[in-house]
Amino acid sequence: MPAAGLLELGAHAAQTQAVVPGRDWEAARDYVSQHAKPEDLVAFAPRWADPIGREHFGPAIATIEREARPDESRFPRAFEVSIRGAHVPALRTWRPSAEQHFGGVAVTTLENPAPLPIIDDLVSAVRPDRMRVSAGDRECPFVHMPTQSGGLGFGPAIPGDRFGCPGGAFVGVSVVADLDYVPHRCIYAPPSGGTVRLRFLGVRFGRALSGHHALYVEAEHLKGAPITVTFSVGGSTLGTVVHRDGEGWKQFEFDTGPLSGRQEDLTADITSSGERRLYCFEAATR
Amino acid sequence: MRLPSASEAWSAWRRGFAAPIGWRDHVVGAALALTYLTWLLTTAGALGFTRDETFYFQAGTQYAGWWRMLFEHGSEALRQGAIDPSWSYNHEHPALMKSLFGISEYLLHQKWHLLADASTGFRLPGMACGAAAVWTTYMFGARAWNRRSGVAAAVFFALMPRVFFHAHLACFDIPITAMWILCVYVHWRAQDRRNIGWALATGVVFGLALETKLNSWFLPFALAPHALFVHRHAIARSLAAGRLSIPTSLVSMAVVGPLVFLALWPYLWNDTFARVQWYVEFHLHHEYYNMEFLGKNYFGPPSPKGYLPLMVLATVPGVTLLLFGLGAVDRAIAAFRRLSAWARRLLRQPADTPRGDPLETDLLLFLSFAVAVGPFFLPTTPIFGGTKHWLPAYPVLALVAGRGFDLVASAMRSAFLALSERRRATAECALWASVFLAPLAVTLHSFPFGLSSYVPLVGGTAGGADLGLNRQFWGFTSQNAAEEFLNAKAPRGASVYIHDTTWDAWARMQQEGRVRRDLHPVGSPSEANEALVEHELHMNEVDYSIWVALGTDAPAYIVKHDGVPIVSVYERR
Repeated sequence: MPAAGLLELGAHAAQTQAVVPGRDWEAARDYVSQHAKPEDLVAFAPRWADPIGREHFGPAIATIEREARPDESRFPRAFEVSIRGAHVPALRTWRPSAEQHFGGVAVTTLENPAPLPIIDDLVSAVRPDRMRVSAGDRECPFVHMPTQSGGLGFGPAIPGDRFGCPGGAFVGVSVVADLDYVPHRCIYAPPSGGTVRLRFLGVRFGRALSGHHALYVEAEHLKGAPITVTFSVGGSTLGTVVHRDGEGWKQFEFDTGPLSGRQEDLTADITSSGERRLYCFEAATR
Repeated sequence: MRLPSASEAWSAWRRGFAAPIGWRDHVVGAALALTYLTWLLTTAGALGFTRDETFYFQAGTQYAGWWRMLFEHGSEALRQGAIDPSWSYNHEHPALMKSLFGISEYLLHQKWHLLADASTGFRLPGMACGAAAVWTTYMFGARAWNRRSGVAAAVFFALMPRVFFHAHLACFDIPITAMWILCVYVHWRAQDRRNIGWALATGVVFGLALETKLNSWFLPFALAPHALFVHRHAIARSLAAGRLSIPTSLVSMAVVGPLVFLALWPYLWNDTFARVQWYVEFHLHHEYYNMEFLGKNYFGPPSPKGYLPLMVLATVPGVTLLLFGLGAVDRAIAAFRRLSAWARRLLRQPADTPRGDPLETDLLLFLSFAVAVGPFFLPTTPIFGGTKHWLPAYPVLALVAGRGFDLVASAMRSAFLALSERRRATAECALWASVFLAPLAVTLHSFPFGLSSYVPLVGGTAGGADLGLNRQFWGFTSQNAAEEFLNAKAPRGASVYIHDTTWDAWARMQQEGRVRRDLHPVGSPSEANEALVEHELHMNEVDYSIWVALGTDAPAYIVKHDGVPIVSVYERR
């Protein structure tokens, strides 16, 4: 019994001394900043250490685009920055090509075995020269307003730069927490009980249009009306996808082979009859 | 005058241990309690104000105002028009502790200036309850087994990090723990003494427990079967004689308990039935809270079956649990021997009669523990609140651990019989140190992040984070963000999004000099120069809102415990 007590005391001493110092994080940051290209992913593990990674790496490396990525498929390479031997689960099948240790921080370079490069990212097109928005028969102008946000239950922040529609509907880029509270940067477009039409101008097409969509996590629990999104080009429907509460960050993909290599306007009609449909989606051509 | 030598002092101490349990033990219990209370008082300033506390501070102030009105104006205070305005606030919880919080603050801070901070005045009754639980646990252990068991049990209880954390608060979780073990203890004594005084005391303490928190509703499920079993022969005889004999302590609980409950809660003096009904229904249909367990956010029932066992393993020091296991096996073997002898007698086979316990202490402790934890295995019970809701089980856990410690110490003394008394005393001191140093170190280190801290068995705080166990709740760690960053670095007059912290908590922290007075709180990240996020899984959504509102995902500073993020502070770019 004394041995058990002393063992616990020793374990406590060891665990409380095992904190990774800031200088290790900063050494890892210097290494990653020298080697990472803009198209690479930088990700932190374990998940609870993500704020520490963002604190030390800063917003230029730990960008919102990397932190709130739709998934990992678009990245050809990843720098996994980890402590305590943890790994990013989504990178488990990627091939390690280098590993560096900076005290308690390990940086593993991983190669994506099957990267899916994107051609046009629709989230980046949410700006007045690349997109038009309408609700019913009325245009929604692009406005610069204060950002709106709140505490728990408010939903994703409503960005200051957004398309504002009569009646309160809006479209802008925000970050949604999915059912697992993972962040995703996406086009926040609550349909407000009707239909919101988004027209993306001059989209460059490849073989597919793929994306994800979700409701804000608390709205996913409401068991409310589904959200229907129909994508069309030149009056022809590419496909329709439905999101039902509880489905979380759900993937969709449409074949755009016949449009490959062309540049066309793409329309997304987002419809729902329900309340508090705090809907967000992302899509890209590949 | 010659001072006694160490061995003489030890012998005197041993002789003291041989004396019957009595007033000396109350001195020992009081000393343990006073030590714990002093420790709590000296550390209280480091702990920010939890959400719930701010509501109870407010309620306490209102209730204390009414008590003053009663003493100053007599019957005028008894009118419904005087009662309802004072007692309607926060009437979803009984009034005893809130009254004590308010009276303590009024007398010790406002009137007599014995306490510098109002918050310490509000919190003192909760701390006193923690100390009282230590005292009762000692007395129970000393009487049930011996003084060594009692001291060990009291210390094991005091050195549980979650107990230490909650014992600081003006909340109900430690008070109901104290009332629970006191009620069990007084009930146990009532079965022994069998006089009206102890029976009445049982009813009174049960009433106080009812007036403390709703866990007390479950106490009869432990105490009634125990009393009926203790008195089974007398009950059987009376039934054979055509009479129904119910143990007096149970009658007292049924009659005196509800009277005390009603007497101390003036809100129930009018529209009594409707208001009691509302109180019961409020808790039967309580709103749910978010709670992370193994990386998943739970919001509503059913509880995962492994929640309570894993959280106990992750938050109670391992050596305490090990000794609890040893003590439990010892008591289980004793129970098995009794059962076996009883079965043999039933079959008319020769059997040794193991020494019986007319008070059926093992059964009482088992029932008390089982009833305290049982509701958390029901499919209808959500997991909100984490470990605090089964704290009433912990004094019993500590008592059984104390028994386990006594077995180890006795075995050691037997093994060392050949040694001199002095060496045996030294060996026993070393045993005490080896067993209590780890719980002491873990408990000391956990504060003030008692809800984020986990024991070495699961890897400490970082191990708990790896497992996906809840990091905190109640929004009290904004004080740490202020102490470590905002007070020194925030621009003068900065607006601060205070996240899960209540307005009243922030204001009080400013009044008491814990947070800079010029930092004005705001309710949304969009309005803020500085934004806090107190890390919990479901609070990630607030984190992401801050990214959008402040235009950065990089915290300017993070409050950490053992390297694990507790609060992130963002600054507007």
